[in-house]
Amino acid sequence: MCLWFPDWPLRRPDAPPDRPCQVATEDGIVTAADDRAAAAGVRPGMRRREAEALCPSVVTLLADPGAETVAFEPVARAVEDLVPRVEVAAPGLLFVPVAGAVRYYGGEGSLADAVVGSVADVAGPGARVAIADGPFAARMAATVADGGPLVVDDTAGFLAGLDVSVLDVGELTDTFRWLGITTLGELGALPRAAVASRFGDMGLEAHRVATGEDRSVSPRRVPEDVEAEERFDPPLADLERAAFAARSLAHELLDALVPVGGLPHRVVVEAEAVDGTVRSRTWRSADPFSEVELAERIRWQLRAWVDAGGVPGGIRRLRLLPADLSDTGRQLALGEAAVTAVETRRALSRAQGLVGPDAVLQARPQGGRDPAERVRWHRWGEDPGVPGRDPEAPWPGATPGPSPTHVPPRARALDVEWDGGFPTRVRLGSRWEPVRSWAGPWRRTGRWWEGEGTADRYQLVTSAGAFLCEVRDGETVLVGVYD
Amino acid sequence: MTAGIPDLVTPPRRVASGVGGLPFAAEPGRVVGLVGGLGGGLTRLGLLLLVEPSRTGMVAVVDVRGWFCPPAAWEVGIPPDRLVVVRCQDPAVWPQVTAALVEGMGATLAEVPAGVPDAALRRLGAITRARRAALVLRPTRGTLPAGLTHVRVSADDVAWEGTDAGHGRLTARRIRLRADGKGMRGMERIVEVDDDGTNVVPVVPGLAPAPAGRAAG
Repeated sequence: MCLWFPDWPLRRPDAPPDRPCQVATEDGIVTAADDRAAAAGVRPGMRRREAEALCPSVVTLLADPGAETVAFEPVARAVEDLVPRVEVAAPGLLFVPVAGAVRYYGGEGSLADAVVGSVADVAGPGARVAIADGPFAARMAATVADGGPLVVDDTAGFLAGLDVSVLDVGELTDTFRWLGITTLGELGALPRAAVASRFGDMGLEAHRVATGEDRSVSPRRVPEDVEAEERFDPPLADLERAAFAARSLAHELLDALVPVGGLPHRVVVEAEAVDGTVRSRTWRSADPFSEVELAERIRWQLRAWVDAGGVPGGIRRLRLLPADLSDTGRQLALGEAAVTAVETRRALSRAQGLVGPDAVLQARPQGGRDPAERVRWHRWGEDPGVPGRDPEAPWPGATPGPSPTHVPPRARALDVEWDGGFPTRVRLGSRWEPVRSWAGPWRRTGRWWEGEGTADRYQLVTSAGAFLCEVRDGETVLVGVYD
Repeated sequence: MTAGIPDLVTPPRRVASGVGGLPFAAEPGRVVGLVGGLGGGLTRLGLLLLVEPSRTGMVAVVDVRGWFCPPAAWEVGIPPDRLVVVRCQDPAVWPQVTAALVEGMGATLAEVPAGVPDAALRRLGAITRARRAALVLRPTRGTLPAGLTHVRVSADDVAWEGTDAGHGRLTARRIRLRADGKGMRGMERIVEVDDDGTNVVPVVPGLAPAPAGRAAG
């Protein structure tokens, strides 16, 4: 069974009641749009700017999956009160196996009605509930179940009529169309061996999903001793520590799975409160969890429990268990040994624990005129995103290479003695160093319409080294050191 | 819009891999010390030592001031996705952070903040040998304890080319280095290297052995 709230990201107090509204990620991708915005053509997956061009009056809210998870926790509990083994895929979307519960409730229809009624009590109307054989079919059925609970009796027949684009397999969709395969039924009718031979693993996966067999994709047995557990003394009560713990545990679990050679699709997060209360929630993903994705889900779940007061006194024990495994192993770089990669991750996680995630960084090139502008920092382990400025663009007026090795985060005053516009001496500490040679100025023109002034940059060479400095409003500041 | 000088890229004088003919390298289980003030060219030399290890794994830079500029590392040949910068200025935490990195990274270039005890540096040397990692230490102030480094390098002089009285731009530099320690077989050697701003460091031929002196360790 699948339960889905299409408008879940929009159910937040800051959503305006009288204007079109959309929710977008930090990367500028729309994840949800209300009816008014949808009427103007806004669709999830669209770029934010494109959506704003279609609907200029739309109010854009930044996605907050953590807060959405907190709000969704009562819904998950309401379903869990009726049927056990709830699996949350995302805030607003959950799955639950109902084979046993159907008999208990006397039929699929009465079970679905009971779930809809129970959920409406805690979250209001709007839930789409569908029952089918397998999570993919149930999810697809939920998208069309806007008139009430939908029970799919003939899953293969239901899937057969769907367009191949619902498989979300990128360019393979175009290839299918080019070959005349436009529906899942046409794909499912092909011999599986032929599809596997022609399209490889991705084609095989698509064929399984098209024939409604996605539940049994990974029938691998999970080794009994593979788990990650951490005890906390003092108990974990604040979310900052919870984020660290989530990262560390996700890392530990995936490390433990390296010898097994698989990654989990479903992970059970279990927390024990100081008073002995044990909370448990299963998170699932269509693709195997990566470390970052898993840590994110754990963090959301811990936030949901802590905010709702579900773990009185804080968490004293946290445990992760894989509920199933895929055959997808970890991707290593060319020439990189598995042991080395694991040790590197462990070392950097340890460094993050000591100095904080904001001090363990990676950088990517981006366009800019100054050395500092050409660097786009991001935390290690996080998605670097898309460069805001094109590094391949010409950038006229840019400071010429080589780059300084050191750039102070804030410009520092530098004592330079000038004679007729020529620099003659530089003060380094307590001594004055004569300028041997110099180059410049390169004039940097700021955004005058925002009040930024102009500045002239110089390269100064002394016997103690070379420096990049800038003259702004008659004052000289140090911009870089060539070490 | 301003009219700056064209950003001409200096053609490399020689295509070389790694650190060319330098008589020392970032080797597994060895500590290299780069001792001297900011501006002497030693940070770029340290980055050159990380190029070879970055081909097979991740490398790290421990940045004490928070001033490190990654394009300098990219220019010498370290891929952006293989470089991690860890900022740590607290001398009490620095030994633990650097030890963690030594245990998991192929090679680490670590600036050493003032106030780190000699004993902590010696423990770090022992971890480096035990884990067969490569560690390059670059003190921000002062020197390193005797016997810690396999090779200790200091910069005697740096001369830049390309600039004049307002003309040109920085292009290349010649650095006069003094290397000693066990890795130099107990001899002190003077090496001159040309660094033209790309990943090329040709060693100027005609190495001159320095007058006999006491090795660092």
